[in-house]
Amino acid sequence: MHELSMADAIVKTVLDAAEKNQAEEILEVTIEVGKLTMLNPEQLKFLLDVLTEDTLLESADIIIEEIPVEIKCNSCSYTGSTNLDDSDHYLLIVKCPECGERDLEVISGRECNVKNIKIEKSE
Amino acid sequence: MVKSGYKQKKVINMHKIAEVEIQHDIMVANKKLAQRNQRILDKSGVFSVDVVGAIGSGKTSLIEVLIQEMNYKIGVIAGDVISKFDAGRFQKYNVPVVGLNTGKECHLDAHLVEHALEDLPLDRIDILFIENVGNLICPVDFDLGSHMRMVVISVSEGDDTVEKHPLIFKDADLVVINKIDIAQAVGADEEKMVNDVKMLNPDVEVIKSSLKLGEGVDSIIKAIEKFMNE
Repeated sequence: MHELSMADAIVKTVLDAAEKNQAEEILEVTIEVGKLTMLNPEQLKFLLDVLTEDTLLESADIIIEEIPVEIKCNSCSYTGSTNLDDSDHYLLIVKCPECGERDLEVISGRECNVKNIKIEKSE
Repeated sequence: MVKSGYKQKKVINMHKIAEVEIQHDIMVANKKLAQRNQRILDKSGVFSVDVVGAIGSGKTSLIEVLIQEMNYKIGVIAGDVISKFDAGRFQKYNVPVVGLNTGKECHLDAHLVEHALEDLPLDRIDILFIENVGNLICPVDFDLGSHMRMVVISVSEGDDTVEKHPLIFKDADLVVINKIDIAQAVGADEEKMVNDVKMLNPDVEVIKSSLKLGEGVDSIIKAIEKFMNE
């Protein structure tokens, strides 16, 4: 399962940062997931809940934010978002919304970024 | 007893809440490892091909044919969820093989490949085929550090396979549509599959093949050689 290895990497990243910052508890974790990744946020969240049992992360709120897709068109140099049907990955990467050409680069939307954490620590 | 003049201090554990920026992209971390893998391969002059495709599309069979037909020293990393069947198939040809069991994972990642590279005699390999786990979804997110990605599908998966898995084709450097000899029997339109790939990735070469009849193999070899010489 794809989400399991990502969840595992996320937990390790967060616990490592928490330890470096002498956290006594982690209150909140924010993760950004690109819309074009093959990650299902619901499954990711479920697995994070499972993997964080008995860790500093156990009772943290896990917030998953979606990063929209941005493309750069190699034909007309349009750079920006795509106005597409959410349900259709196929159309999502096919055409430039400006000129209709198909020679595109995806410039964002493929991330799985551990953005920040909110921790509690002794003063 | 409190001395006069002194106020008894109430002991409180003072806690504060802090926000810590992390900004660690797991995808970027994999990508960095992938770049390191490519540097290791380049240092030894090894050209590597990530072979991805659906279960039963003919990835292993194609690599077997290429081992026999290509005029190069070949090595293979054979990724599988739990078995070593594919690694066993390649060992028959007396080429260096590392079988990678992902255990629970549906894809190879750069870290697994890094370890496999340690077990291969890279100075005795010209082309390294990395056979990914049979899956058209998960490998999309994981660059391995290979020089090209070849996607192998077959008509028996249905001629809507490309439409249903666009991203893997968007990133492909070469697409092979295998088992065209049985297209009619399974009611698949192989031309539709070619057109669907071209819609997503206009410049990619798409080769129709029948490994059973030996069709398309020469074109696949030429396409790989073209990438090697770029």
